[in-house]
Amino acid sequence: MNLAFITASPFLLALLLSLPTVRKSVSQQIQTALTAAVMAALFFLLLLHLPDLRAQSVIIQRTDWIPSLGISLSFYLDGLALIFALIITGVGALIFFFAGYYFDDPAVYNRFNVWLLAFAGSMLLVVLSGNLLMMFVAWELTSITSFVLIGFTGDRNQAAREGAFKALFVTGGGALALIIGFVMLSAACGQLLHPDEGVRFVTDLASILAVDSLYQHEWFPIFAALILFGGLTKSAQFPFHFWLPGAMTAPTPASAYLHSATMVKAGIFLFARMSPVMYKNPLWSDLLLFFGLSTMLVGAFFALKQRDLKALLAYSTVSALGAIVAMIGLPGQNGIKAALVGIIAHALYKSALFLVAGTIDHATGTRVIDQLGGLRRQMPYMFAVTVISALSMAGVPLLLGFVAKETLLDAVLHYSAPYTLAALSVVVASAVFTATAGYMLIFDVFIKDAQDGVHFHQPPRLIRAGPILLSIGSLTLGVLIEPVIVPLLRLAVPKTFELQAFAGFNQVFWLSAIILIVALLLFAYRKPLIERIRFPISGNYIYRELISYIDWAGENVLHTQSGFVRYYLVIILGTVGAVLIASGTLTTVTAGQSLFPTDLSVNIIDLAKIFMLLLTVAAGIYTIVVREHVKAAIAYGVIGYASGVIFLIEHAPDVALVQLLVETMATVLIIIMLGRISTTIRRRVTENLWIGRHKSNFGLLRDLVISIVIGVAVFVFSLIALQNRPERESIAEWHLANSAQLNVEDVVGAIVADFRATDTLMEIAVFTTAALGVLTLLSRGRPGSAPLTSPAGSEASRTGSDSEGDDVIQDATSLSTPFTRSVSVIVLPIAILIGIAQILYGGSGPGDGFTAGVTIGLAISLWYVVLGYNEAKRQLPWFRPAFITRLGLLIALINALFPILLGKGFMGHVEFDQILGIYDFVGSFGLHVTSSLIFEISIAIAVMGGLGIIIEAIAFPREVQSLSDE
Amino acid sequence: MIDFMFAAAIGALFSIGVFQLLRRDLIKAAIGFAILFSAINLFFVAVGAFEGEFAPYVRNVEEGRSVSDPLIQALILTAIVVSFGSLSLVLGLVNMVSRRYGTVDSNDVNKLKH
Repeated sequence: MNLAFITASPFLLALLLSLPTVRKSVSQQIQTALTAAVMAALFFLLLLHLPDLRAQSVIIQRTDWIPSLGISLSFYLDGLALIFALIITGVGALIFFFAGYYFDDPAVYNRFNVWLLAFAGSMLLVVLSGNLLMMFVAWELTSITSFVLIGFTGDRNQAAREGAFKALFVTGGGALALIIGFVMLSAACGQLLHPDEGVRFVTDLASILAVDSLYQHEWFPIFAALILFGGLTKSAQFPFHFWLPGAMTAPTPASAYLHSATMVKAGIFLFARMSPVMYKNPLWSDLLLFFGLSTMLVGAFFALKQRDLKALLAYSTVSALGAIVAMIGLPGQNGIKAALVGIIAHALYKSALFLVAGTIDHATGTRVIDQLGGLRRQMPYMFAVTVISALSMAGVPLLLGFVAKETLLDAVLHYSAPYTLAALSVVVASAVFTATAGYMLIFDVFIKDAQDGVHFHQPPRLIRAGPILLSIGSLTLGVLIEPVIVPLLRLAVPKTFELQAFAGFNQVFWLSAIILIVALLLFAYRKPLIERIRFPISGNYIYRELISYIDWAGENVLHTQSGFVRYYLVIILGTVGAVLIASGTLTTVTAGQSLFPTDLSVNIIDLAKIFMLLLTVAAGIYTIVVREHVKAAIAYGVIGYASGVIFLIEHAPDVALVQLLVETMATVLIIIMLGRISTTIRRRVTENLWIGRHKSNFGLLRDLVISIVIGVAVFVFSLIALQNRPERESIAEWHLANSAQLNVEDVVGAIVADFRATDTLMEIAVFTTAALGVLTLLSRGRPGSAPLTSPAGSEASRTGSDSEGDDVIQDATSLSTPFTRSVSVIVLPIAILIGIAQILYGGSGPGDGFTAGVTIGLAISLWYVVLGYNEAKRQLPWFRPAFITRLGLLIALINALFPILLGKGFMGHVEFDQILGIYDFVGSFGLHVTSSLIFEISIAIAVMGGLGIIIEAIAFPREVQSLSDE
Repeated sequence: MIDFMFAAAIGALFSIGVFQLLRRDLIKAAIGFAILFSAINLFFVAVGAFEGEFAPYVRNVEEGRSVSDPLIQALILTAIVVSFGSLSLVLGLVNMVSRRYGTVDSNDVNKLKH
C-alpha cells in the first residue's frame, strides 16, 4: 500500500470532518466510529508491509519533487518506523474512540477531533518520511498541533495558554537548533558522498544512513549537539522536561496520545533513526546516556511529589522517556532492543493510565489524588485497568512492563561500561520510585476510603473500551513476547538477540524483585520521606527568567522605533550605501566609465521621451508646491499619463494601456478620497505645511537634504544600471518563439495569461487582498473612537468626528444632473463592450482581462460618483463587489486546477474549443476558447469586484460600515 | 544621452516622492508614495525595453524585426497592478486617519503616541 496515502489519510479525514455540512449533520457517534475505524484500518494496512519488510528490510517510495535541489517526496519504512507507525495508528484508534465519549459538546468534540487527526497525520509523516526536510516540516507540524491541543481551552483558561506557549517555546526552540543541525548534517553528507562537487546537500534519508564515516566528520560535534538539543527538548529530557507537566492542560485524550504515546517519542525516534551513523562517536552516546539517566531519576522522583493524577503521570512519562534515551545511548547500539520494548510497553500502559485519569476526571470532576478514593466499587473496570497498567509500569512479572524492565536492567548490567555502577544505581533508584508511583495510583485512588464532597456520576459505558483494550495489550503482549513482539523487533534491532516472557531466576530477576519490595517499603513510609527532599532550582525557574529577559529585550528594541519615516529612510539608505561601497560592487562596475554622457546627439523619438520625462518631473514638483490637494492629484495624473506615453514610445503598448487605465483609476480614487475628508482638515494641513514644529526651517532643510541625497543616490544607481544593461536573456527569446503556437499574437499577453499565469494569479490575489484591506480599514471601528486628549488633538477634535460630513466639498448629489446621469448610463454598456472585446481579442492586441476589469470598474465608479451610494446600489442590483470578487477568484482557481485532471499540471494550457469540437466555428470569428481565455475572464471579474470594494469603501465608508454592522 | 535623462528623471521623481513622504501632509504623502511607484516602473521600462524597435508581437517577430523585451513588460504589468493595490491601501489609511483623528497632519497624529 502506498505510504503517501497512509500518511495523507488522517489529514484528508480532518479536512472532511471540518467541512461545515459534515460538522453539523453527522452525529458525534458516527464521527467517532469513522475516525477510530480509519486509524484501525491504517494500522492493518501498515501491518500488511510486514512480509515485504522481512524480505528487504526497508521500503522506500520516492517521487521527484524539486530534483534540482535533490529534494524528493519520499517515504521510508523500516522496522523502526513500522513500530512507531503501529503505535501511532493502533494506540491512536483507541484514543480516538475514547475521545468521542470524553467530550459532551459535539462542536467542541469536532474541533478537537480535527486537530488530533491533523496531529496524527503529522506524526505519521515524521516517522515515515524519507527526507530530512520533510521530516523537519512534519516535526514542526507536530509542535504546532500540540500547541493548539495544549491550549485547547485557552479561551477561558490562563494555565492552558501558558502551558501551550511553554511547550511551543521549548520544542520550537529545539526545532531551530534541529534545522541548523540537519543542514550541517546534509552538507557534511554531501561532502563525504560527492567530495569533488563543491557544496551539496544530501537530504535523502537512505543516502544519509549509508554514510558510514559520518561520525568522523569535523563538524560532527556541532551538528550532533544541535540534533541532540532538538530531540532532547522534544522528548522532554532534563533540564527541558518542565514543559511536559505544563502541557497537561490539554484535554486528556490529547495528553494520552501526544504527551505519552507519540509526540514526546519523536525525539527518541530521531535518536534511534540517527544512531546507526552516529553511535560510533562517543560524544553522541555519552551525552544520550547522561541526559537519559538524569531525566530518568529526576522524573521518577518528582512523580512521587505530585498530587494531580495527570501531573504524576506526566513526570513518570518523563522518567520513562529518560530510560529509553539512555538505552539508545548505550555503547555499540546494545540498548536498542531495550529501548524499543520500553517504547511499546510504555505506550500501552501509560496511555491506559492517562485514559483512566480522564475517565475519573469526567466522572468526579477532579484529578487531585487527595480528594479521590474508594473508586474501586464505582468504577470496577477502571480499577482493573489501573491495576494491570500500574503493575506493568512497576514491572511485575507476566506483564509487558516486566519484560521492558528486565531488558533494561540486563542492558545496563552488561553494556554500560565504564559507567555501570552509576547507571545501575540510577536505574534501580528510578525503578523503585516508579513502582512506588504505581502502587500509589492503585491504592490512593481506588482502595483507600472515599473522600467527602466529591460528586460521582457514571461516565458513558463505551468510554471504557479504549483503556480496557490497552490494558489487555499490556497483559497479553507480556506473555506473547515471542510470537508478536520478537518478529517486530527483529526488523528494527541491528543485532541478533534473545527475548522471552520470563528469562528464569537469574541475576536480573532478583534485582527486579528487590526493586518491587523496596518500593513497597517506600510506599508505606512515602509521606515523611518524600516531602523532606527538595530540588534547589527548577527548569521552570530558568524558563521564567529567560522569558522575562526576552520581554526586557523586546521593550528595549521597541525604544529604537521612533515612528518617523525620515529615521527609517536614513537607516535604510545608510545601510544600502555602506554595503554597496564596502562590497566594492560599484567601483568594479563603473571602472573605466564616465557617468556623464559624451554623445549629446538625440533623434526625434528621444526628444519626445525627454519631453515626457521633463513633464513628469515638472508635474512632480508642482505636487509639492501647489496648495490645493485636488490640483496635486491632477498633477499626479499627469505624471502617470506621461509615463504611459513613454511606455507607448518604448514599444510597450500593453503596458501603456494598463498604465493609462490604472492612473486614471488612481487619480479618480485620490479625488474621491479628498471628497471624504473635510475641507477644514485639509485647509489646516496646507496652511501649516511649511511651518516646522518650532516655527523654524530646520525640519524643511533636513527633509530636503534627505530626499535630495536619496534622489542623487537613485540617479547614480539607475544610471549605472542603465549603462550596464545586461544582454537579453534567452528566456524572452523562448517566449517570443513559442507564442505563435498558442495562437496568440501579443507576446506580452501570452506571458501574462499563459507562460507566467501563476504570477498573474498571485498578482490578482494580492490585488483583491489589498481591496479587502481597504474594506477592513474603513468599515471597522467607529470614527472618532479614539478621542484626542493632547492640546493639538482638542483643537482637531472640534472639527473632527462631530462635524464630519458637514463641509464635505464634493457632495454626491451635486454631481447628479440630467446630463451626468445620461452619460453614466451610456458609458457603462460601452465600457462592458470594450471590456469584452479586450478579453476576447486580448491575444491579438493590447488589453487583457485586467484592463477589461479596470475599464468596467471605471464606468461603475462613475455611477457611484454621479448617483451616490444608495441610488447606484438600487440601479445596479447585480453589482455586489464582494460576491463578484469571490466568483472571479473561484473561476480562476478552478480553471487553474482543471488541467491537473487532464494531466497537464497546475495552470496547464487547455484548448476547450478543440475538446468541444467548435474550433473552426469560433475560429471564424478570430477567437480561441482556451484556458487562457477563461483565466482572462476570471481576472476581469475579480478586478471589477476588487475595484468595486475599494470604491465603495473609500467613497462611502459610513454606508459600508453600517452595512457590515447589520 | 537618453540613459542619462532617464536616470535623472527617475532620481528627481524619487526625490520628490521621498520629500512628500517626509512632510506633514498625509494626503501629499500618499501622492508621493504613488510618484515613487511611477519612478520604479519607469526604471524597469528603461532597463528593459530599449533595444527593440517594434512592439513584441508575433508578426513582428516573424518578419524578423527587432522587438522589445516582452518579459520585462509583463513584469511591469504586474508591478503596476500591485502598486495600484498598495496605493488604494494607503488612501484607505489616510481616509481612516482623517475620520478617526480629525486630522491629516502627521505631526498631530504623532503627538497621539505620547
